[in-house]
Amino acid sequence: MTEVQPVPADRVTPLIQLVDVCMDFGPMRALDTVNLHVNAGEVVGLLGDNGAGKSTLLKVITGYHQPTSGDVIVFGKKTRLASPKVAREFGIETVYQDLALIDELSIWRNFFLGEELCRRFGPIKFMQRKEMRRIAEAELAQIGIRRVRSAEQRVLGMSGGERQSLAIIRAIYFGARVLLLDEPTAALSVRETQRVFTAVRAARDAGHGVLYIDHNIGHTFSVVDRVVLIERGRVAADLRREDTSVEEVVEILGAGPSAENIRRGKE
Amino acid sequence: MSELNTAEIRPPRRSSMALLVRLIQARAFGSAVVIVVLGIIFQIMSGVFISTDEIAGIFVVASSLAIMSVGVAFLMISGEFDLSVGSMFAFTPIVMGELISKSWNPWPAFFVSMLIPLGFGIMHGVITTRFGIPSFITTLGSYFLLDGVSYIVTGGQPVLYTNHVLMFSLFGGSLGFAGLTAPVVWMVIMTGLLAVVLNLTAFGNWTFAAGGRVGVGRALGVPTARVKTINFCICALLAGFAGVTSFASVGSAAPGSGSTLNLIALVAAVLGGTSLFGIEGSIVGTMFGAIIIGELETGLVLVGAPGELYEAMIGGILIIAVLVNLRLRGLGTSLEGFVAKRARS
Repeated sequence: MTEVQPVPADRVTPLIQLVDVCMDFGPMRALDTVNLHVNAGEVVGLLGDNGAGKSTLLKVITGYHQPTSGDVIVFGKKTRLASPKVAREFGIETVYQDLALIDELSIWRNFFLGEELCRRFGPIKFMQRKEMRRIAEAELAQIGIRRVRSAEQRVLGMSGGERQSLAIIRAIYFGARVLLLDEPTAALSVRETQRVFTAVRAARDAGHGVLYIDHNIGHTFSVVDRVVLIERGRVAADLRREDTSVEEVVEILGAGPSAENIRRGKE
Repeated sequence: MSELNTAEIRPPRRSSMALLVRLIQARAFGSAVVIVVLGIIFQIMSGVFISTDEIAGIFVVASSLAIMSVGVAFLMISGEFDLSVGSMFAFTPIVMGELISKSWNPWPAFFVSMLIPLGFGIMHGVITTRFGIPSFITTLGSYFLLDGVSYIVTGGQPVLYTNHVLMFSLFGGSLGFAGLTAPVVWMVIMTGLLAVVLNLTAFGNWTFAAGGRVGVGRALGVPTARVKTINFCICALLAGFAGVTSFASVGSAAPGSGSTLNLIALVAAVLGGTSLFGIEGSIVGTMFGAIIIGELETGLVLVGAPGELYEAMIGGILIIAVLVNLRLRGLGTSLEGFVAKRARS
């Protein structure tokens, strides 16, 4: 089970696939022949200790790094993700925990930041505020955030889970096909974590692919369809959730020096 | 247009109470209150403060400062400072006046001299966003640079304009009503323009975002470095233009005359509810802030206070006004909770 099977041609084309990706930083090999794919309508959990290569992998997929060797295949086509901007254009969207929202701004201003709906008058782009407000409110209501009375409210007044959810549904709204979630539930309460999972499942059910990166195995297991374990730059295992258990994952990762750390989850 | 800061929580509509809450939460509200309170105090002390002539006088005094301050506030909302606006205010008309005295036509002289603030704006933007040097330092450098060069250019003598042309009436002439002058109109135009851009356009949204937590705007595709650079230019251009309006209405521009204005423009922005830490601020409020300063200047003369008191008063009022602003916002928030509770029951 430690080898990733290439996806057979008769099955769905993965939204994104890494084939034999290596990444060297000088003499150091951060990623070693990594094979990984995310299908549409699937949540893939990426587990591994600090320094295992999760962040490097994430940066390859988001276009911050170009792999030293190997291929990145997006929608079945070999692609060079030359920059984060290019990755975004391909519908690969990252939701960072702390870089997602501007607290002081209202919900609708955040929701449409960088993608404002506008009417042009010559060189000036006037925002269609009512329309943006309406859409933001409707999208929030759809995933069950009803505490928000108006999209004029500041993001500051939302809970951590509501904010993460807002960031996720915004990414989906603007056409993200692959969502990369980097520790979206760190520092969230149990109930708030559930709220984020609701948004993640909504994304999956709508046919998006989700790559879910976390230290917390328990959290990851309750939302993913498949887990990919990374260790010292290699894929240690690629398991469907129903074929494995928290115990097995801990055991596999336990070969590494800091399994205890992983089991407890990073605080 | 009334500029209610849309970032504020908006209570349910259709209630007069809710309307009051929205008014109190508007950033410009605190400075409006200070204007009225100061007006009443000066009226009681002098007996002649609230009259058409005096109010017009306040506007005239405030106008050039306001044109400069709204640019400062706009830049501050995007998270940067410009401490050289006063020096730009003094230097731009000096160059223009020198060119005119070398028998340039006034219009080319105006446009060529406006290239100076434009150039400095671009420079501030590039140094700040490319090299990561705080704008506080960069523009402090420009302040001394501009002041120094203006002494060199003029030899320390004020520049006067030699012949009156249409342009001077347009920028600084009398409106023929209550002693109001053209800069008052320019103040309203520039304030309106910037308030519309800030609140109603995509660029305004990006300006807020540039002043928010570092990295978020850029992560979402907002070109924050470009936005900040443009805002440095807007700020410097408005400072230069404010200097020209002052030159056109007063008739002279003196080197070094802008040194205190560097900080007074900042004071006006803060009086108007603009935060030193970016993202929070009001353009209309900043115009009110400039009017407060004009009110002080006029009022202190009327009550016969010694001129030395002016700067001390500005300091005192600054602290009081910021406190008032804070308190009002707090009051607004608790009122909002009350309205929301009543709406639920």
